Amino acid sequence: MKKVNILLFFMVCLHFAIFSQEKFTLSGKITDENSHGLEGATVVVLPSGEGAIANTKGQYLLSAFVKGLYTVKVTFVGYKTLIDTISISDNYIFNAQLQPATLSLQEVVVSDHYAETRQKEMPLNVEVVNDDFLKQNRGGSLMKSLERLPGISTIDIGSGQSKPVIRGLGFNRVVVVENGIKHEGQQWGADHGLEIDQYAVEKLEIVKGPASLLYGSDAVGGVIDIKQNGIPAENTVSGVVDLNGKTNNNLLGTSISVAARKKSFFAGMRATFLDYADYKVPTESVDIYSYKAALYKNHLRNTAGNEQNLHLFFGVIQKYFQSKFFVSRIFSKSGLFANAHGLEPRNVDTGLHDKSSRDIQFPSQQVNHIKVINKSEWFWDKFSIEAELGFQRNFRQEWSQYVSHGYMPPVFPDSLNFDPELERQFEKYIYSGNLRGALQVNSKLSLSAGISSEFQDNRIGGRGFIIPAFKQYNSGSYALAKHLFSEESILQFGLRFDFGKINSKSYYDWFPSSNGDSGEATEYLKRSDDLSRTFTNLSWSLGYNYSPENWLFKINFGKSFRMPIAKELESNGVNYHRFSYEVGDSKLLPEVSYQFDAGLEYHATKLAVGATPFVNYFSNYIYLNPTDRFDRLYGAGNQIFEYTQSKVFRFGGEIHAHYQLVKSLQFGFIGEYVYSEQLSGSKKGFTLPFSPPASAIANLKYQKARWGFAKDVYISLDYRLTASQNKIVPPEKSTNGFQVVNLSAGAKFKLNSQELILTAQVQNLFNTKYFNHTSYYRLINVPEPGRNFILNISVPFTGKI
Amino acid sequence: MLVLMFFIYSCEEEGDKENPVIDIGIENAFPQNCDTLYFGEAFTFKVLFTDNVELGSYNIDIHNNFDHHSHSTEVTECSLDPVKEPENPFRFIQDFSIADGLREYETNLSINIPDGNSEGLFDEGDYHFFVNLVDKEGWTSQVGLSIKILRR
Repeated sequence: MKKVNILLFFMVCLHFAIFSQEKFTLSGKITDENSHGLEGATVVVLPSGEGAIANTKGQYLLSAFVKGLYTVKVTFVGYKTLIDTISISDNYIFNAQLQPATLSLQEVVVSDHYAETRQKEMPLNVEVVNDDFLKQNRGGSLMKSLERLPGISTIDIGSGQSKPVIRGLGFNRVVVVENGIKHEGQQWGADHGLEIDQYAVEKLEIVKGPASLLYGSDAVGGVIDIKQNGIPAENTVSGVVDLNGKTNNNLLGTSISVAARKKSFFAGMRATFLDYADYKVPTESVDIYSYKAALYKNHLRNTAGNEQNLHLFFGVIQKYFQSKFFVSRIFSKSGLFANAHGLEPRNVDTGLHDKSSRDIQFPSQQVNHIKVINKSEWFWDKFSIEAELGFQRNFRQEWSQYVSHGYMPPVFPDSLNFDPELERQFEKYIYSGNLRGALQVNSKLSLSAGISSEFQDNRIGGRGFIIPAFKQYNSGSYALAKHLFSEESILQFGLRFDFGKINSKSYYDWFPSSNGDSGEATEYLKRSDDLSRTFTNLSWSLGYNYSPENWLFKINFGKSFRMPIAKELESNGVNYHRFSYEVGDSKLLPEVSYQFDAGLEYHATKLAVGATPFVNYFSNYIYLNPTDRFDRLYGAGNQIFEYTQSKVFRFGGEIHAHYQLVKSLQFGFIGEYVYSEQLSGSKKGFTLPFSPPASAIANLKYQKARWGFAKDVYISLDYRLTASQNKIVPPEKSTNGFQVVNLSAGAKFKLNSQELILTAQVQNLFNTKYFNHTSYYRLINVPEPGRNFILNISVPFTGKI
Repeated sequence: MLVLMFFIYSCEEEGDKENPVIDIGIENAFPQNCDTLYFGEAFTFKVLFTDNVELGSYNIDIHNNFDHHSHSTEVTECSLDPVKEPENPFRFIQDFSIADGLREYETNLSINIPDGNSEGLFDEGDYHFFVNLVDKEGWTSQVGLSIKILRR
């Protein structure tokens, strides 16, 4: 009998564990501007769509919520709609004060607690950014706009192209995800930008630290996860017209979006056009390997460009099912500094180049990136499924005048099937699929698991060989368990297994080289072999978060990895951008990284302070090592750079603080530092390439909700102090520290009944001449852009349908 | 305080960070910018290489500049012939080792410029004489000279 009782007891427990998940309530009070209860206000919770109407005291009660992230929408006729994101894991009290709407057009106030919620839940350190941040810090590219964030830097080429660097790691060590699908371009190249339209970003999360567990190979440095949403409220049409101007490169830009939703169906589009001239640098001439190139009116010759982006999105949103389609085409074309192709000084026809600052002559690059994504979600009480399917095509061309190098024929033969001025061409087709499931086992334990796969077909063209054509397949599956000891104490553990395969095709030179003393060019050199490699890896991550009252503590320990890429395995050619002959190693092993992360944060009403240190060890970091040798036959007499693996130790972190000095005035501080050292190999004791210097920003921000006609007024002053970088590795140069002041201001205005959002910036207020250590042009002594006035006008509109 | 420590730490010096030096200012250094070499003759390449730790190797590349593409690293401007299409230009690429353990090395290298190859005589005109030097750590220096190669 006793046994039966125990058995019964366990069965009941099991039953409760599996079938009767804890349900929570959501309650609160909705008040007007005078704190009186608003009878009749509607509270709707998404995605479930459940709603309630406030009683005579303005109180409401909703029940039967499972743990999770919800969006709350509070509406009342004559008042501005309020939208907020909350995370329910216990009975939740949500109070809201609505502001009267003075207009006939509906207005929406989004008060976002999402960032806070994510920080509390994620074991790794995250930065959450919304489109307001991007508007206020608008730079020449998405990454440039994000550079202000602690731990984030960029590798730039020109004024419109930059790639992300997280805590000193970049290229293929950072994953960019858009709408759930990994963005695949030509991220291995220092002179390649990121093909993302910064106007189309609604929300963005940066994971600092190794995130291979959820994002797979390449996420050793971190992740930039971009969410492009744009779904309007039910039965409305809304949109925004953005106008943007910059004085430094005379940029003119516009981005127009419109979207409509009728019941559960929505559709919308966005178009972005940017056109900019050569950018200006505070110097009369640039010193390229002791060759002084005079600049015309401070213009960095031939760095003009343009961008045309188009997005379409549509889908269906229901209580238990959502499916969204995103279709986009990003096109950009930009010139490269004409006096140096790569790092090599070039003679320039100044008459041709200086005639117009807006034209794009040789050398130039253009990229066309097409993306089609479907993201679908199904919700049940305790179970949800997410699926993403993606197709991408990245088509990149680099153009320059034909110049014979090494054994290339002095006159380009007309028997070849490509344009002599096409230096390189990369074409990539990417097919991706992800499937994830999440199960709420009980109020304490949630489990999720997923599988993601990607297939790539890479083709090459043009006269210069750097990587071979290749096909690549990756697949990974993971499981993640999350246990809540209490609302404030969360433990997470995850495991992931990955499989990858790469097949590259052999490549022969299109011109003969001279192999022997006779000097006769007879041999068509084989640059790369038919190669087939497979890789497997097991990665894991263990993290704990504790967030009592005003504190937040987090620690995470994880193993991440990265499979070698085609460039590292099979390079065998001259990189004319930097006098180097780069040789891959087909025997490289996957890069493995162990990292310990911590986070400590205190926030009170007036003060917030935080620190996010990390320690990182790579057992075999893949590194392009400059040797002390030259190669005549394959390398056309250039210095040999070999891909090798070395042990690397890194540590660093970020600190941030802000303090409310007086009611409207806030002082803020951000600092970042990374130390890297190679522990083995021929560059033992040296750092890693593109190591960002220590840097800090001190900020004063004045904010006022209302100031005469204007609303939400802010004026912000950034004083950026960057230390010198003397930790360098060949062929880098030490870079002096600098101090730069940036100013920004913004406000909302009403013009008749139309709202206008104005944001203005002055970057490099004092037109300081300084060098950015991680700029591609640093090696040829091109300073950073001079003073730049930036103005952005946003005109939002909404209407009922 | 922490920030200050970061800054001090990041300013610390260590390891070799110096590029080697190609000195074309020594006595009898040859060739110099705007010099002329002759087909069918040998010349002696004479420069001084120095490095703070240890020299590695060097490379010489001679190629035509008939299109004035130029990567001279010198300040002096040489008078160039009019732009022309190459027919059978002379080309020389060769790398040379330097004995181990040297911090200073004066070249004394004889290079012969043949008059032509199986396709005929080499083109006279403007050429580039490009010297690339690397030290043991991989730091490099380049010197690019504008020269003419003519026929006596």
